[in-house]
Amino acid sequence: MKFISFLVALTLAAIASPIAAQGFKPSKPVEFVTHTGPGGGGDVLARAIASAMEKEKLMPVRMQVANKTGGGGHTAMSYLMEKKGDTHTIAVFTGLWFTNPIMRAEANITLKDLTPLVRLVLEPAMLAVKNDASYKTLKDFIDAAKQNPGQLKQSGGSLGSRDWIVRQLLMKNTGTTWAFISFPGGGERIAALLGGHVNIMLIEPQEAGEHIRAGNMRVLAAISEQRMAAFPNAPTLKEAGFDVPNVPQPRGIVAPPGIPAEAVAYWEDLFAKFVKTPSWRKILEDSLFEDGFQRSAELDKFIDQYSETTRGILREGGVKVVR
Amino acid sequence: METLGYLMQGFGVAISPMNLLWCFIGCFLGTVIGILPGLGPAATIAMLLPLTFRMDPTSALIMLGGIYYGSKYGGSTTSILLNVPGESASVVTCIDGYAMAKKGRGGPALGIAAIASFIAGTLGVIGLMLVAPPLAKFALSFSSPEYFALMSLGLAMVVLLAGESMTKALLAMLVGLWIAGMGTDLFTSTSRFTFGNAEMLDGIDFVVVAIGVFALGEVLGNMEIRGGTKMLPVPKGIRNLMPTWQDLKDCRFAFLNGSVVGFVIGVLPGAGSTIASFISYGIEKAVSKHPEKFGTGVPEGVAAPEGANNAETGGALVPMLTLGIPGSGTTAILLAALVLWGLKPGPLMIQDHPTLFWGLVASMYIGNVMLLVLNLPLVPLFAQILRLPVYVLYPVIFGISMVGVYGVSSSLFDVWMLGAFGLIGYAMRKLSYPAAPLILGFVLGDSMERALRQSLMMSQGDLSILVSRPISATMLFLTVLVLIAPLFRRANAWRVKAIG
Repeated sequence: MKFISFLVALTLAAIASPIAAQGFKPSKPVEFVTHTGPGGGGDVLARAIASAMEKEKLMPVRMQVANKTGGGGHTAMSYLMEKKGDTHTIAVFTGLWFTNPIMRAEANITLKDLTPLVRLVLEPAMLAVKNDASYKTLKDFIDAAKQNPGQLKQSGGSLGSRDWIVRQLLMKNTGTTWAFISFPGGGERIAALLGGHVNIMLIEPQEAGEHIRAGNMRVLAAISEQRMAAFPNAPTLKEAGFDVPNVPQPRGIVAPPGIPAEAVAYWEDLFAKFVKTPSWRKILEDSLFEDGFQRSAELDKFIDQYSETTRGILREGGVKVVR
Repeated sequence: METLGYLMQGFGVAISPMNLLWCFIGCFLGTVIGILPGLGPAATIAMLLPLTFRMDPTSALIMLGGIYYGSKYGGSTTSILLNVPGESASVVTCIDGYAMAKKGRGGPALGIAAIASFIAGTLGVIGLMLVAPPLAKFALSFSSPEYFALMSLGLAMVVLLAGESMTKALLAMLVGLWIAGMGTDLFTSTSRFTFGNAEMLDGIDFVVVAIGVFALGEVLGNMEIRGGTKMLPVPKGIRNLMPTWQDLKDCRFAFLNGSVVGFVIGVLPGAGSTIASFISYGIEKAVSKHPEKFGTGVPEGVAAPEGANNAETGGALVPMLTLGIPGSGTTAILLAALVLWGLKPGPLMIQDHPTLFWGLVASMYIGNVMLLVLNLPLVPLFAQILRLPVYVLYPVIFGISMVGVYGVSSSLFDVWMLGAFGLIGYAMRKLSYPAAPLILGFVLGDSMERALRQSLMMSQGDLSILVSRPISATMLFLTVLVLIAPLFRRANAWRVKAIG
């Protein structure tokens, strides 16, 4: 009996080996780079992917998360540049990897200089106000902004971030203006809204969920193609009556430049398999992300188009575009 | 009464053998990473996160919480013994802690730090337990003008940190403010003083500046002294390694001051433990009967900032647990952990998961006792480090500093910057410029500028927003008082001289 199973194993190995020899397979732990520190958005996603990969047993080796912080993402990008041709390093990219090189001369590496592999998620967002605000709809808010030009306030990130871009688009579409006040951390932005110091903010659904359930916050509109399953009452921007383009926050996986085609194929296929697993579905559901899977060919087009749109919005907003 | 019932329920959870073990593991790990500069609680919790997926969320939170407040105990060790601030909040501890060690009182300083940590840590938990929801509301009423006033008050502490020359202290502070401005401007996304370096886009990390100016500056300065084989004197006998009753009596007010200041400032999401430790040190010096002795190694100068640093943990958990709002890097990753465990942190969490909250609170009482028992016997052991000859100790400090800095960002650029700041620290020492004002300016500069610009954006450029709000007006008034106090003292001394 033992002998037979040995034979079977031997034949299987004989069949399998030529295929394995053609393709690429990681042979040592893979370094999984993120530009955020522990607890930041990219870091949390990278760690969630690494443990889900382990749970689903899709890879022969482990993934180790490495935090390369600094330079608005540039440190992580230049780390990948240094790792040219290394098949055992990948990284999580976010929207910052698009905007940072566009806006800052010092950040001289773009996503196209690296090897973008797949896009994984499109992060939706919501425009939220405090529960006792007088505006019931986004139209109410815009009307209020029209009556008091420049008086209303939005808490958000820095210039060029997604919340700023959505504001620019809405202001242009409606001919209104309101102030944009930058806060470095998401917590401070929410505290400013809940404390009544600002009137509106763009918030990630996962951050907002509990505040909405507790009745502290109200959603005026969802920044997504369709209504979000978790918030069926929140209309999309179009449904709310504003014909402005959706600004998705993309996140995906990128590799160093100059890696062989087999390695690209391996990573693409791995993530194509990964996005179908229940573990990944659960991550999407818990974080209230939208599935945005794209392979590298489509992703290349997306990068060009996304960067071009961003450049246009930045220029209109009076920001210097350097590349 | 209701609280007591919940607390009993919490102790029921926390006292189970498994949870006691997790609590101990957390506290122990926290102490270790607190001692190692560069490796902070946020990074440690992130690394351990995958291990917690198979654990019960309450046990996991008890352990991760232990790492968080445990790290505050260890942070003072290298500050006192080696002048290497293990984390940003321990910078203030360096001032009098290291001065005490220089006088051969390193052991008592470590003991005072441990006891202050215990008292303030416990008072912080009591605060978290009793006043969390109302205090969270108070924290929300704080907006940019209030933060600006708070930072101004913090910056005014420079007059208390100044040594012999106020001019030199102010100059050092201005350099600190300048360094704080380096990097990308949050509001306009333009880069400032990056000199074309992409590495500078996020500014300079606090650890680089603090360790460079304090630790390397000190070592470089000491290397000039020939003949000595010991860095610092260490008295023989265990009695001399522990604080005396007199020390503890001197610190009575400092324990309380540190606890209250640390807790209240900890509750504010935009402040942090560093400013809490500076302000409690300033208060301690202002009310002291012998303010001139501060900086020469007085136990109150260790007890106040260490207390503030530890009470801040209880405070920082208030907005995190009652509102789901993170106030620091560590609370941000704790929130991320709660999400990954399938819990929903937010305003309803305490109501939905009472065992989680009360289990954590009860475990923090137990954990603080564990940490005191763990840390006090270590005092004589750590004090022995100073017996090492300088030709061993100096390279060790250099090594620890470089590893610590590299560990934060894994960037070699930062190690070079560390060297540069070491030279700056050395030059400042030679020219007798105090280092603490530089750090103070550096820590507060960024958030102070931000708060001012946010306020002015809110008021459309009207400066009166800063004085028309009661909390901010009160704090600005206090700031003015702190600033003019030395002038009065000088005038008074001059008058006494004239009469005499």
